[in-house]
Amino acid sequence: MEMISDVYRGFRSLLKGMGVTIRHFFRKPVTVEYPRERAVVSKVQRNAIVLIEKDDIGSHNCIACLQCEKICPSNCISITGSRKDGLAFKRPDTFDLNFALCSECGLCLDVCPTDTLGYSKQYDKAGYSREDFFYDLLDQWKATEETALGTLREIERKKKEEREARRKADAEAKAKAKENDDGDEKA
Amino acid sequence: MPELIRVGRDEDRDTYHLNMGPQHPSTHGVLRLRLHLKGEVILSADPIVGYSHRAHEKMAENRNYIQFLPNTSRMDYLSGMIYNVGYCQAIEKIIGLEVPERAEYIRVICCELNRISSHLLWYGTLLMDLGGFTPFLYCFEDRERILDILDLVSGSRLTYCYGRFGGVTEDVDDKFLSETLAFCKHLRNRLPEYDDLVTNNVIFQNRCKGIGHIDKKTCHEFAVTGPCQRAAGEKRDVRRDEPYGIYDRFDFKVPTRTGGDCFDRFMVRVEEISESLSIVEQAISKLPVGPVMAPKVPRKIAPAKGEYYFAVESARGHFGMYIVSNGTEIPERMHFRTPSFSNLATMRRVLKGSTISDTVAILGSIDIVLPEIDR
Repeated sequence: MEMISDVYRGFRSLLKGMGVTIRHFFRKPVTVEYPRERAVVSKVQRNAIVLIEKDDIGSHNCIACLQCEKICPSNCISITGSRKDGLAFKRPDTFDLNFALCSECGLCLDVCPTDTLGYSKQYDKAGYSREDFFYDLLDQWKATEETALGTLREIERKKKEEREARRKADAEAKAKAKENDDGDEKA
Repeated sequence: MPELIRVGRDEDRDTYHLNMGPQHPSTHGVLRLRLHLKGEVILSADPIVGYSHRAHEKMAENRNYIQFLPNTSRMDYLSGMIYNVGYCQAIEKIIGLEVPERAEYIRVICCELNRISSHLLWYGTLLMDLGGFTPFLYCFEDRERILDILDLVSGSRLTYCYGRFGGVTEDVDDKFLSETLAFCKHLRNRLPEYDDLVTNNVIFQNRCKGIGHIDKKTCHEFAVTGPCQRAAGEKRDVRRDEPYGIYDRFDFKVPTRTGGDCFDRFMVRVEEISESLSIVEQAISKLPVGPVMAPKVPRKIAPAKGEYYFAVESARGHFGMYIVSNGTEIPERMHFRTPSFSNLATMRRVLKGSTISDTVAILGSIDIVLPEIDR
């Protein structure tokens, strides 16, 4: 008798389970047919870093401060930079990324003082050798580098003028205040 | 030959040694179990670990506190968010850094989602070890939704580096919140389906009931924590006993069982999934507005000289961080007390007398993550 009830219970639980799987037959597929469809990537998707364009410069605004190189836990960034004529800050000469070492922690983005680092949107990179993951981040900016330098010099010149104008105004204001003071004393 | 290497038939030809793993699919990673067998019955079992040792603790001694952040989630890659946020909370407590309210709530939401995803993966793999492939696919479908949700804010799917000292990197948006709520509703509807498919299945129950007993005494002796301990009847949960972050503001049960066998551990974890869902929903309903990063985070983090210990509840149990600072930016020593290590250590006692086919179920039910044991 016990055996019969066992068999009954077993059958019932099996059929119930099969009912679940049969219901799944009529549900929509959850997979994405990758090469034909592409998944939508999250806005903050972490990836290889790129230098992002700044609107006022028309190019990146890396000042080769080496902060990202210093904080990177896996030492995958290497930058060299030099002073260019008429610029207050340095400009990078090389900006190499060894993406094979990167662990996508995002610490370099956090420390960047000019916020010119961002993530690449290309998520399906593959390669046959280690060298395929050595990225030169300045590659895409090489063509526009001269104009960017020009813009930067222009910005720098304007800033300088502004600074001087402010200094002049300050000095004038001070002189005026002094005059007033003197006048007060006389009176 | 050293005793641990010898395998094969013994001299008396009655008993023999068998290696299970390190490349065995049901050891969940690179665990090697050296079994001493008589027929199908296990006379003794030695878990041998260390195949995926990456020296995270040594790495910590060679970098500053911030640079260790990406390492944390790579220790336990299934509940990386909990480890990552836990490490941040430890350092924040040491240096006395205040975290904005909103960031705290976001952390709780993400950690609990991560706990659910970890439990779902465990659910699927346990069932796959036992021979059921279908539940594995269903669990992964649901887990995939969590990974997508966490991807929306943290930018990664598995090894998150979302926490920062003083907050989190990204603020959550409406899309994240609505998708999380939709997922909670979806999973709540899914859980009865899982029960129909798995929990009430007689074959599954017969496979799991009455094997792999980890009783209270064993829990105490081996420092077993997490769901394994709760299944033995101990109501212990770091979130409840010594609330870290803002866990004291949430209303949640700590599910316990009394038997301590495979089925009890299974039930505890299944109940934990719905508890975590309720924590997520509570956190979303209370989510305040404001910044997600503390306004002033010191650039140089150099805790005062001394020893510190901080613990969080990971998906597998008590995860403790022991940090020794010598007053500089680079820690003197960092040690991690990871739950799977202690849970696995009981196998020497628990597996004795069981059979090889039960070993797969028992190992699956304690939910070990090997990279977390080896670190």
